[in-house]
Amino acid sequence: MNIIITGLITGSMLALLAISFSLIFGVARIVNIAHTAFYMVAAYCIFSLTGKFGLNPIAGMMIAVVVVTVLGLLAYKFLIDPIREHEAAVLIATIALAMIFQEAVMLIYTGDYRTVSALIEGYFIVTGVKVFYQQVLTFGVVLVVLALLWFLLMKTKLGLAIRSTAEDREVANLMGMNDSRLAMITMGISVALAGFTGAVLAPLTVLSPFMWMEPLIIMMAVVVLGGLGSIKGSFVAAFILGFTEALVVFMIPKGAFLKGSVALTIMILVLLLRPEGLFGISFEEER
Amino acid sequence: MLLEIAHLTVRYEKAVLINDLSLCVDTGELVSLVGPNGAGKSTTLRAISGLVAWEREIKRRSTSGDIFLEGTVTFNGERIDQIPAHEIVRRGLVLCPERRRPFREMTVLDNLLAGAYLQKDPKKSRETLDKVYELFPVLKQRSPQIAGTLSGGEQQMLAIGRAFMSEPKLLCIDEPSTGLAPRLRQEVFEKISEINRLGITILLVEQEVSLVFKMSCRNYVLSSGKIIAQGTGQQLIEDEVLRKTYLGL
Repeated sequence: MNIIITGLITGSMLALLAISFSLIFGVARIVNIAHTAFYMVAAYCIFSLTGKFGLNPIAGMMIAVVVVTVLGLLAYKFLIDPIREHEAAVLIATIALAMIFQEAVMLIYTGDYRTVSALIEGYFIVTGVKVFYQQVLTFGVVLVVLALLWFLLMKTKLGLAIRSTAEDREVANLMGMNDSRLAMITMGISVALAGFTGAVLAPLTVLSPFMWMEPLIIMMAVVVLGGLGSIKGSFVAAFILGFTEALVVFMIPKGAFLKGSVALTIMILVLLLRPEGLFGISFEEER
Repeated sequence: MLLEIAHLTVRYEKAVLINDLSLCVDTGELVSLVGPNGAGKSTTLRAISGLVAWEREIKRRSTSGDIFLEGTVTFNGERIDQIPAHEIVRRGLVLCPERRRPFREMTVLDNLLAGAYLQKDPKKSRETLDKVYELFPVLKQRSPQIAGTLSGGEQQMLAIGRAFMSEPKLLCIDEPSTGLAPRLRQEVFEKISEINRLGITILLVEQEVSLVFKMSCRNYVLSSGKIIAQGTGQQLIEDEVLRKTYLGL
């Protein structure tokens, strides 16, 4: 039971992170290493807003998401956009951005571990296992957001344009879709989702300035397993890795130390055996 | 004149793809651009639809080489050579690209709707969609299918249908017959004539000269980025040298 709960929650979190990471990669070929750093910033925002300023947690979450989105758009406009066509430069710039966030958080909040109080306290017991209401809430909210995202992508004109641009930027241009504007919008959505993940995860985890590194690696493993740029792949792979992680942590003594290496092992195996991932698209050469 | 290209020159690094090319297309015509591989036919279409300029911008940003583009393109009385590709579509110059390039992961219906991206009024897109279904009944049958699973002929129909959804005044079609069986080529060309009869001007790039000459009003023969001859199919075929050297007939 513990495994199922942890697996579901980790899986849904990873799904959100990986899908939002995939989105901006698909549309603009931007590998955003700072993706999980935005998630960390959101978590710390909530810590400040609810702790120091005593704001209502839900208002805190909303403000955190907005703050992170604005930060993301600014970073895109001034840092990423000018070098967007240079993949290596984007990679380096976003690593730098992540470090900046890390050090800024370190300066403001010091390296101490922090916690954020749960939205709702209490738990109920299923088959002898404690299930916190906060866990159920987090899982539910994440599912709702995933459903909204699906609706946005599959049922709206903006989603159609995002999917078209992700698949063939040049042809999308021929249909009147402005690829730079779409890249900007997608960056906003992607970072907002990262911020949202940080916001809903904050009460369930411990905050530290280095909390972006581990999810980054696992998220990369998810994206590789699911196939770069494939949303469906990211979704499925997130739950596979979420459950694998939970299994390792609960079944193997001291397994918690192994979870990172399990993710990496999966990533390496996928790259060796099936580089395009579960649902990967083999990219057509751009002319 | 609906489209007027004057002194168009395109160079990729040192390679001259188009050299001082001028041509025009009048409203309602079906004009073909023929010539051997590498003559610059596709580049001409890419240049007028704004893709060469778009590519130049990307190359500049990624510092991976330069493209030189010069000359004027006038469409419907307005100069469009400085306008970005996604704005040119809005004015009614639509390109159906080489190798069809459907969005392979999307359904046939989504592909067609992507073509109507600029149409703000869903009712109008619906009407255009009905027209496309009337032209290509096979697309209606296949509408929920993933585009990548269609046959080559169907993908070509889809590409033309998708371009049609953008409500073109001038529809540029790049090599629609590539990789198709003779019977399917015939069918595709019949559809193109049909679209032309609906009042849509067509600029067609082709290698399949024998079929094209039968249906187009005028033709330009392109070689090494230059126009070397123009006229009706009959006139061009009568020229012995031209026929043997460039048209392969």
